[in-house]
Amino acid sequence: MILFEHVSKTYPGDKNPALKDVSIQISPNEFVFLVGKSGAGKSTLIKMITKEESPDTGRIVIGGIDLDYVTPRYIPYYRRRLGVVFQDFKLLPRRTVYENVAFALEIAGMSSKDISNTVPKVLELVGLLDKAHKFPDNLSGGEQQRVSIARSIARQPKILIADEPTGNLDKLTRREIIDLLQKINAFGTTVLVTTHDETIVNYLQKRVITMKDGAIISDQKDRGIYKLENKPKLTLKKPLRRKTLKQRRTNV
Amino acid sequence: MSKSTKSKAELKKLQRNTRRNLRRMVKDSHPHYALTAGRIFKYGLYSFGRNIWLSIAATLVMIITLLILFSTTLASIVLSQAADAMREKIDITISLQSSTPTETLKSMSDTLRQDPNVKTVIMSTAEEGYERSLQENADNEELMNVLQDDDMKAIMLNTMPATLRIRVFDVDNLSSIQNIVEHDESFTEFIHPEIPPTYDVNRLEIETITSWANVAKNGGLILGGIFLVISTLVIFNTIRMSIFSRREEIYMMKLVGADGSFIRGPFIVEAGLCGIISGIIAASLSLLSFNLIEPGLTSYGINLTTLTSLLHSSWLVFLYAIMIILGVIIGATSARLAIQKYLDN
Repeated sequence: MILFEHVSKTYPGDKNPALKDVSIQISPNEFVFLVGKSGAGKSTLIKMITKEESPDTGRIVIGGIDLDYVTPRYIPYYRRRLGVVFQDFKLLPRRTVYENVAFALEIAGMSSKDISNTVPKVLELVGLLDKAHKFPDNLSGGEQQRVSIARSIARQPKILIADEPTGNLDKLTRREIIDLLQKINAFGTTVLVTTHDETIVNYLQKRVITMKDGAIISDQKDRGIYKLENKPKLTLKKPLRRKTLKQRRTNV
Repeated sequence: MSKSTKSKAELKKLQRNTRRNLRRMVKDSHPHYALTAGRIFKYGLYSFGRNIWLSIAATLVMIITLLILFSTTLASIVLSQAADAMREKIDITISLQSSTPTETLKSMSDTLRQDPNVKTVIMSTAEEGYERSLQENADNEELMNVLQDDDMKAIMLNTMPATLRIRVFDVDNLSSIQNIVEHDESFTEFIHPEIPPTYDVNRLEIETITSWANVAKNGGLILGGIFLVISTLVIFNTIRMSIFSRREEIYMMKLVGADGSFIRGPFIVEAGLCGIISGIIAASLSLLSFNLIEPGLTSYGINLTTLTSLLHSSWLVFLYAIMIILGVIIGATSARLAIQKYLDN
């Protein structure tokens, strides 16, 4: 579904490369976390997928499309196949919740009848049907992020990219958003989430790709946890920890 | 791209699949042009209403621009008419002896009328000149008493010249008339010995005034042009600021997969709508101000009958049409240019 082959990129004027020989393969229906400090190259990688940036070397294939061949003429059509969610939501402030979601369908030329059928269903899925006619400014951060997710999934994309989707949210709302992303993944959408949120990563224990200085330093394909250094893999053994605590108490 | 781990056959297959997928994506998008145009228009209207302050600002600047354009055009017409009116007043006055018989005056007029450059010849005997003096000074009782005195009347009739006032088509070509007046014996015999023909003096003064009127007209046009450029730049900047404040929206629209025309369209519709409204308001204000100043201008002898009759007939529609079209062109072009920067990035 997502394939990066030896992708490198250096921005003009920068000494260090933003991406250094990155190779990733993400299969259909996978849920993947991409973690790393600021400047690790996560955003550049996302921008490569959304075709905002092009690699200097290497090949990127998304959903069977080699991005080398996606010329400016095809970029809008290609992007309609992706769902993208941002940390700052990027909603249209002068349009209602309904219009924000409908916009994604209107640009694809969907008929008004189909739009009026689809939008309420998507809003119901994200739990915002009752706020369909509110403007983004009148919603909480979590609600705005749910609108952003609703907009990104309205066209039923095969791939959903979420760039720090919980970055601006409180603990409880973060959990709601991640549950929603999991739900979308369960419907068959490949989900790639970049995050700094250790709790969420460790809670879901999905595949975790860690980046540092533009390179991939670890790829935990199963039961991944949040780690920013390439140290031997740690797995959470909750029962063992409980036992240790018990032992400690006994010792005391 | 280098470092590919795929074999040549695999790469060819990938290339083939990519092209097929891209073609399918375009085909699946089913562009409904009428539907898309309707949506662009709808969102343009929404944007106009939801960004009402920016819309008002852009509309006001556009009204000012259109008014400047109208005033410059009107000033140019008025000055042009004024210059023509002044040139109309250029005449040649030939003063003749008081004793010149009326019959001679008539034959002189006929001689002059044969010249193709002569438009009209108005003759006036000494008696008619005396009568005119009485009429002109009817308010001045003291002077009237003097003028009506028999002795004074006799003196005036003996000294007042008979005159021939000649109006011409081409004031720059008076040589033929000058030739007749100065060399035809029937004229030279009766020319007033003390008052020479006035064509040169009068003409020079009027020519000076008309050339100043032309300078003012051209200066007005240049100034109007400069104002127009400045106000177009102000409109462009107002719309650019409006678009700049919404650059995040544009970025988001691009990421969701909106194509250039779908992003650009509502901004152009919004600016076009500002143009329509300002066109209507500017045309109405222009008409109102013209109606207010028209009696004043007419009282100065400026002939605006053609313009007045046009603005009071069905041709008025053209004033509105021109203003609206100009407003739409200025607004839409500014929006088109201002947004392109964000679409290219």
